[in-house]
Amino acid sequence: MAINAPSDVVVAVDDASTHSWWAGIRAFARRRPLGAVGAAVVVVMILVAVFAGLLAPYDPVAVDFGAMLSRPSAQHWLGTDAFGRDVMSRLIYGSRTALFVGFGAAFVGATMGAILGVGSAYFGGRLDLYLQRLMDIFLSFPLIILALAIVAILGNALHNVIMAITIPMIPRCALVIRSSALSIREMPYVDAARAAGFGHGRIILRHMLPNVMASYLILLTAFLGQAILLESSLSFLGLGVQEPTAAWGLMLRGAAVEFAETAPWMAIFPGLAISLAVFAFNLFGDSLRDALDPKLRSL
Amino acid sequence: MTKYLMKRFLLMFPTMLGVAMLIFFLIRIVPGDVVELRLAGDSSSVNAKVLAEERAKHGLDQPVWKQFLTWLWGAVRLDFGKSMWTGAPIYEEIKLRFALSLQVAVMATVVAVLLAIPLGVISAIKQDTWIDYAVRIFSIAGLATPSFWLGIVFILSMLIIFKWLPPMVYTPFWVNPWQNLLQLIWPALAVGYRYSAVATRMTRSAMLEVLREDYIRTARAKGLVEKLILSRHALKNAMLPVVTVVCLEFAFLLGGLVVTEQVFNLNGLGLLFVQAVAHRDYTLVQALVMIVAGFFIVVNFVMDILYAWLDPRIRFR
Repeated sequence: MAINAPSDVVVAVDDASTHSWWAGIRAFARRRPLGAVGAAVVVVMILVAVFAGLLAPYDPVAVDFGAMLSRPSAQHWLGTDAFGRDVMSRLIYGSRTALFVGFGAAFVGATMGAILGVGSAYFGGRLDLYLQRLMDIFLSFPLIILALAIVAILGNALHNVIMAITIPMIPRCALVIRSSALSIREMPYVDAARAAGFGHGRIILRHMLPNVMASYLILLTAFLGQAILLESSLSFLGLGVQEPTAAWGLMLRGAAVEFAETAPWMAIFPGLAISLAVFAFNLFGDSLRDALDPKLRSL
Repeated sequence: MTKYLMKRFLLMFPTMLGVAMLIFFLIRIVPGDVVELRLAGDSSSVNAKVLAEERAKHGLDQPVWKQFLTWLWGAVRLDFGKSMWTGAPIYEEIKLRFALSLQVAVMATVVAVLLAIPLGVISAIKQDTWIDYAVRIFSIAGLATPSFWLGIVFILSMLIIFKWLPPMVYTPFWVNPWQNLLQLIWPALAVGYRYSAVATRMTRSAMLEVLREDYIRTARAKGLVEKLILSRHALKNAMLPVVTVVCLEFAFLLGGLVVTEQVFNLNGLGLLFVQAVAHRDYTLVQALVMIVAGFFIVVNFVMDILYAWLDPRIRFR
């Protein structure tokens, strides 16, 4: 686009770009129906989380001892828990926790991983060697073991839970980004940029990063589901989000298991919510991966 | 080749040392220590002298680097010392739990492989048909379902439908195999389903890739029976990445069963780890992490050797 384009042309270009956005989404939906379904569920979930206050029929933390463990009914669509709290309202508010932790951990984890991966690949040499060894060390821990240790150190405030989920994800992301960045480093245009005398910062920002964006986005969506699963596992163990905050993993803890026989709705619905959320993210992430880079199949 | 494997072998040691250092210092950052927790309990009115004496008994009064070296020297000789919480030798604490976790991990692997390979192959052969879609949805669902919740659902449905509950007390296999399997098959199924999802996807994409190779076309052109092409030519060559994924997941299962063990009331390594962290039982936490991470590192190394052996084309740097 010319720098001094007249304003009406700019408007036209804007129109065209929104149009192509729509066309892109429609094409994606036609070619990858499963991915589109996943994306639709994710959008609905985000809307539910944003408008939780309007959608939830009850206060998620309001205790009502008159309605303890009541079955699903017209008043309480999905029943109530051992404190008489409305299960549906807690599920609706729980989506806030899940999405917040999921997006927070996946975004920070993938971004930190991308920075480390690109830096490691670009500079190579000693830095690469040491960083790789450090990553090896972190990768030898099972996700949940490392997350548990970090929560024990930091305590279980929400942002600490996010941190505990993020840290084990960073090396996993750095590994993938590094390998795609390694091949980009050998590209002629990177050589050209170096020959033209550009600094490291500019080459990394303008030439390397845009070209690992595909891997980055794929990792981000893959981690979203994993982060939600990990948060629910930690909360289920009592080491994640704390009562009375509404969180899906937490809802499965304690009374939900003890009274599972008489009040199965307490144990069934939160699990379904977790599965549906992660399922939708994975469905969307898979299609995105197929569309952007079919080679990254191992994720 | 030998040089590469040698390098890989030698690299295991700094990694293990790194793991040792990381967990040794991490666990000491956790607020509170084992002596305080054990003696003080809820009330915090234990006199300082008793605490100091008790700490000295565990060597906790020494400078940290000295503690580390002492412990490391023991760990090198596979002597992890005594649990700071119970006072029993670590070896005793871990022995039974290790067997339990290992058994569940092995059973889950069997479940996963039995599900994954047929499903993955069918899905690849029937690519983009409804069968393929069904298998893919089944496996994505497996990745999405928390295995601890699946465990709760298993127990619950058996209770409601059959009015029967699987045994909740652990019986070693050699005491009563039937009772043992009856209890452990459920966690194995719950974990195995999730695990199979990863392997199914890998089998499918590896098969798809192999089926497009020239030698498959050649085999078809010379009129070989499709069944033979699939089993001899395609599946064999597609197995390499699948074996990798299965082994890696297996290596993680040993310590990664934490939540499932909680649901099924299994006293395995994962649960032991949670308790050890809660008690600030430094020696036990350290030993557990070294075992779990060491297992992973060794499995990784063995896989590299296996790779070179299975696929002579692979040339390492």
